[in-house]
Amino acid sequence: MKGLIRDLEQLVGRDSVQADPEDLLAYQADATGYFAKGEPVAIVLPADVGAVSKTVAYASEHRIPITPRGAGSGLSGGATPIKGGIVLDLKRMNRILEINHGNLTAQAECGVVLADFHRAVEKEGLFYPPDPQSMTVCTLGGNVATRAGGPHGVKYGTTGNYVLGLEVVLPDGAIIQTGSSCVKHSVGYDLTHLMTGSEGTLGVITKVTIRLLPKPEVDRTIIIVCESIKQAVETVSEIIAQKIVPAKLEYVPSGAIGGMNRYITPPLEVEGGAYLFVMIDGSPSQIEEESEKIKRLCQNSGVLSVKVIEEAGEAASYWKARTAAYPLLLAMVKKVIIEDVAVPRDQIASFAESLEKIAAETGIPIGMSGHAGDGNVHPSVIVYDLTDEVEEKAQKAIKLLIQSGLDHGGCISGEHGIGLHKSAFIEMELGARQIQLFRDIKKAIDPKGIMNPGKIWMDEGEAC
Amino acid sequence: MLNDLSSYLELMDKCSSCAFCEATCPVFQADLLETHVARSRMLIIREVFIEKSLPVSKRTLEIIDRCLLCSQCKQTCPAGVPVNEIVIAARYQQYKGKRMSLPRRMVLKQIMENRGVSGVMKKAEVLARAAGISPKEIPKLPKQSFNELYPAGIYPPLGKTRARVLYYVGCGTNTLYPDTGDAVMKVLAHNGIEVTIPEGLVCCGIPSLVEGDIVTARRMMETNLSILAGSGADAILTDCTSCGLTFSEKLMQIIPEEDPLYEKAIEVSSNITEVTDYLQKIGLTFPPQKLEVQVTYHVPCHGNWRSTLNDAPRELLSGIEGTEMVEMEKPGACCGAGGAFFVDFKELSQKIRDPKLQDIKQTGAELVVTQCPSCRSYLSAGLEEGQRVMHPITLLSMAYGLE
Repeated sequence: MKGLIRDLEQLVGRDSVQADPEDLLAYQADATGYFAKGEPVAIVLPADVGAVSKTVAYASEHRIPITPRGAGSGLSGGATPIKGGIVLDLKRMNRILEINHGNLTAQAECGVVLADFHRAVEKEGLFYPPDPQSMTVCTLGGNVATRAGGPHGVKYGTTGNYVLGLEVVLPDGAIIQTGSSCVKHSVGYDLTHLMTGSEGTLGVITKVTIRLLPKPEVDRTIIIVCESIKQAVETVSEIIAQKIVPAKLEYVPSGAIGGMNRYITPPLEVEGGAYLFVMIDGSPSQIEEESEKIKRLCQNSGVLSVKVIEEAGEAASYWKARTAAYPLLLAMVKKVIIEDVAVPRDQIASFAESLEKIAAETGIPIGMSGHAGDGNVHPSVIVYDLTDEVEEKAQKAIKLLIQSGLDHGGCISGEHGIGLHKSAFIEMELGARQIQLFRDIKKAIDPKGIMNPGKIWMDEGEAC
Repeated sequence: MLNDLSSYLELMDKCSSCAFCEATCPVFQADLLETHVARSRMLIIREVFIEKSLPVSKRTLEIIDRCLLCSQCKQTCPAGVPVNEIVIAARYQQYKGKRMSLPRRMVLKQIMENRGVSGVMKKAEVLARAAGISPKEIPKLPKQSFNELYPAGIYPPLGKTRARVLYYVGCGTNTLYPDTGDAVMKVLAHNGIEVTIPEGLVCCGIPSLVEGDIVTARRMMETNLSILAGSGADAILTDCTSCGLTFSEKLMQIIPEEDPLYEKAIEVSSNITEVTDYLQKIGLTFPPQKLEVQVTYHVPCHGNWRSTLNDAPRELLSGIEGTEMVEMEKPGACCGAGGAFFVDFKELSQKIRDPKLQDIKQTGAELVVTQCPSCRSYLSAGLEEGQRVMHPITLLSMAYGLE
């Protein structure tokens, strides 16, 4: 591919192109290397949107697949270049361009790391709620491409609720500015939200205009210890039913606490069947009221304990531990497949029961953890042995749990996106007519099929 | 074990590719190229050096060389994969101790083995400048080394003896910053600690470890262990976090159970303590006087080998009336020195150092404290006039009016 490398270097400069075998190896997968790998032929690291445009136009001319990539921390294979081609590493476009107090908006390049963005806006007394747990590394562009969520989803919604406009490089290299900085925008088709969640299949997101909120006055962390999974999920439903919408309402199985104690200071005693990590935020009087309501409700349900964490450092350590829950789990077992099924809140108890049945039926342990407050409980399928037999059982368990999620009125992916992982199941949820619509949209926007081919839905051969 | 890359396979398997290492790898944050972060480095090392599915190339060598061994990856990784150790093991396998040119190896040998010998440092300085490896970031050598100021011997404290310690002075303090060692001696004496400075100590060996030269590192450790083990001292103190890391952690990664040095190694690696950490634990006999100053604390990358170590300067200095600790936004961010890494990777180290200098500036503090002499010299070279870097014990010594 010598000609290709030379061409790319001439287009964007030698410093922006890498093609040694070692570099190609580094870009073969996202955080799901256990699932699939690809073999790119070149890595382009654009410094600005002009470089992105030139690269995409070139790829379009020569029909070379392009896989945009942020941190490569995705959990559905979205950034895995399964059809080879060029990987477009967008992390060098990492400037925060504007934080506008008068309009409560911000503008940032796609490669800004989410935690850096959080820090910058919070310094100004402002708030950007979406908090996927990979925030110390994931990028805004990746967040928009997957419609990323996080624990704040229960009260504040997810990334899509905060995107006002985007700069996008279309599959022919053209650069468009969608949306605006206005709170209201009704100007024809909502291309901003078509691109949001498109997982790199319709264009490259290079800039984001973001809606901000004022920072909540105070927040408070409450830890609830439940005697069983059943009690925990019922407590979640009860909290919502009592019209309390916490900022975060996370379910943590007792089995995970041991590993998480590495971060929790002082460490927790492991007891009961499940924990609820709760955060409420707002004005001081509202916090007081909601705290009391939660304590009363918990006492009525007979939970093992309810504890308000007074010390800020201690409270922060719980949430730090929560961010590490997934990699910690991966460190403990041979292989875990994290599913992203979300169900309505009043269905969590029934869904949890069905997971137990499926686990018993297939012989595959299925854990649960995460955003119970918004019904996104991340069933984790534990592949306890790396044999074909166990893998097959695990795949059966996945199909069953996805069907169960759909039967409960849920969806197959709350926040990770479809990527590769769930493309086999997307038709189960959406039906053939909608998938055909997806194909038609893709054909209209990316007729040559170069943008991240092979993702979101299955086709017999190429994506289009 | 650092001399056996394949002994790390089980740990390598624990990597889930989560990418969390991108948050703290200083080289990655400067280069913004995924090949230069722990996750990929480890994968490449595995494919090239263990699976042998890829041949060793110039690029491979660049990838294993372009790492300052700060260990932030290991500290950040939820699975605790020690990619820094894996890099050393790869360097051992590839270079067998011969990564540096012969003249440089000779200079290093002089410095490491003969540091106690008067005048050898001056000779080494001349040699180093001749070999082109003495950039301006290394300060001019002070007139007298610590060894010359404080010859080997037993130094009794003022008043009652509370404890007896051995003092292992790092090469950084010995040759570049004897003022740190001087402050340590004064503060310990002031607080009822009898200090023995043993004869014949040599470099802890970390400059060799960094090269993957496990053989030389072990030789240094053997000499030091024969002096430090079996002394009956209450503690073995060091003023340098990197020496401490070497004696506590690295020692056990190159001396296996079957090795005749094992018993001594266990003893020393359990006893070694950094002096700020030690004083914070044992408590001060006398409270320090008032000292009005704004100070910020740069946490050395190699400060993680005891759970109490990172916070010890914060706690100890909070007892000085008038001393205000203003924390940086990222106190633990690497300074970019990486021991002698900055010599060969000048631009990269500066790129890593720049945000650190900015962070220090925005604290408004006039003093930076840190326990690492390498951080101290590299930060000093970048800071503005009027800002000083010192060991936390020096600040304490000032508060005692001993300076």
